[in-house]
Amino acid sequence: MFQTKKIKPFLIVCLLLLVTSNFLSCVAQREIRILHMNDFHGFAVPYKPYGSDESQGGLAYLAASAEELRAEKPTLFLAAGDMIQGNNWANLFEGKSSIEAMNVMNFDAMVVGNHEFDFGQEVLKERIGEANFPVLGANVIGLSGLKPYIMKNVDGLSVALIGVVTDDTPVTTHPKNVTGLKFLSSEETIRKYAQELRGKSDIIVVLSHSGFNTDADLAKKVDGVDVIVGGHSHTKVAKPARINKSLVVQAFEHGKVLGVLDLTIKNGKVVRASGRLEPIKPTGKENKAVGAIVAKYQKRVDIVMNETIGEALVDLDGVNVRLQETNLGNLITDIMRKTAGADVAIINGGTIRTSIKQGPIKVSDVYAVVPFDNYIVSIKLTGKQIRDTLEHGVSAVEDEEGRFPQVSGLIFTYDRNGQRGSRVKEIFINGNALESEKEYAVATNDFLAAGGDGYKSFGDSVKSSRDYAVIGGAMKGEKLVYGDSGRWLRDVVADYIKTEKTVSPKVEGRIKELRR
Amino acid sequence: MKVFVNDQEVTLGPGMTVKHALTAAGLVNEVEKEKKIYDEMGNEIGLGGALTEGARIYVK
Repeated sequence: MFQTKKIKPFLIVCLLLLVTSNFLSCVAQREIRILHMNDFHGFAVPYKPYGSDESQGGLAYLAASAEELRAEKPTLFLAAGDMIQGNNWANLFEGKSSIEAMNVMNFDAMVVGNHEFDFGQEVLKERIGEANFPVLGANVIGLSGLKPYIMKNVDGLSVALIGVVTDDTPVTTHPKNVTGLKFLSSEETIRKYAQELRGKSDIIVVLSHSGFNTDADLAKKVDGVDVIVGGHSHTKVAKPARINKSLVVQAFEHGKVLGVLDLTIKNGKVVRASGRLEPIKPTGKENKAVGAIVAKYQKRVDIVMNETIGEALVDLDGVNVRLQETNLGNLITDIMRKTAGADVAIINGGTIRTSIKQGPIKVSDVYAVVPFDNYIVSIKLTGKQIRDTLEHGVSAVEDEEGRFPQVSGLIFTYDRNGQRGSRVKEIFINGNALESEKEYAVATNDFLAAGGDGYKSFGDSVKSSRDYAVIGGAMKGEKLVYGDSGRWLRDVVADYIKTEKTVSPKVEGRIKELRR
Repeated sequence: MKVFVNDQEVTLGPGMTVKHALTAAGLVNEVEKEKKIYDEMGNEIGLGGALTEGARIYVK
């Protein structure tokens, strides 16, 4: 009886202590949600990805999903770069459409991706000025408007957001787009700011447009980062990757998923984390305001497509490009050679998909001729490699394969009945006979440069090249001397016609078939 | 930049992506047949994804 009397108050005290400690613990513990997307590339309208029969994405549907998820708990909505360039919906307005939609979607911050530089620095500054949210780029020196980091108060929780873009940016856009800018090491930059902000924030989140492998390395090498929200490698990280003490997430590409990361934070530490990728499909709820912006710019895309940009004074032959020299092949390769400042241009006839009739030329005509997302590169080839390239080009002329070349800056003869590999006879560049050992800058498209249609010499040349660097604002590489991955060939051709107003290319005898 | 596609070594220029690696390996048409591309950690990746030196990707 005596013991029971003593135990009862003791139990009550224990119970009170337990309740109090739990209460205090709950006060110190907070939950936040991070919604994230990356590598949107202007895919605002749902589309069927290559190899899929199902429509995916749709910015208005993603916005509706984000709105619902945001209503559930205190949230940060982040974009990890490459938002304003890629699809026509973004490109034709130099990314203005993307920013307008992102403003309505109430993004909290975005980091610049390498493709944000593709329209040049002045355009990027305009886009930053239009954004209702901060645009980050801690390792970019010299571009006004970019912030290295921001502090966000999310329901009483202090979150430091640091943004970095891939160190490779200078070699992944046209050199003129990054003239005067300096790109510091992401690793060193994050380390510096993480140290500076650790005591001033509850958690540190890095927005990194560097790619999943690089983010994983950063997580291993830099202490003090709680979360890395990534982009650049278009990686579908289904569940957050725990690497060292950091969580690394990334939400695939093109708004086909929305990243959701739920964090519980206590005493400046993430004590619980769960994440998922919410699939986005053009079904269900749509955000009407974002839907209206998507539709508005899509309508403008259609208007731009119907715009007359010039006149063809002759029929432009895109039908015989797999068989012989054509005037359209000459026009396109001339544009490529001039754009890249190369000695020669060589493309596969398969790059050109159709003809343009004599008369007015619309943007849509040009897009139909060169529809692929190809860009111009220029690679140094030896005379021997040029011969090998042309040999490959004519090696299946009897089958009318897409590899048949269209050329600029050179003239060559070939015997279609000769043995494959020894059909090409004379080659002249700028009126001079080809020199086997001499190097020439050869403009082509990225498809051939990667070995497409069986073209090997470009890849062999790149393979033999040493490292690349940006010196004095221009990309210097031993073999790859020009590349502009941010500007599709179709846009280069359309801009040329717009400037010239009329075009009347001729078949000039650049490719001569020897008759027996 | 050297990368590996289904363990086949290919060399790419700077800024080239998964699509270029698959082109170099002659496997880009496989994606049309509903095959997907994965990184070495088993994450699916898109054709426009950036690659790093020594990256290993798989089409399956």
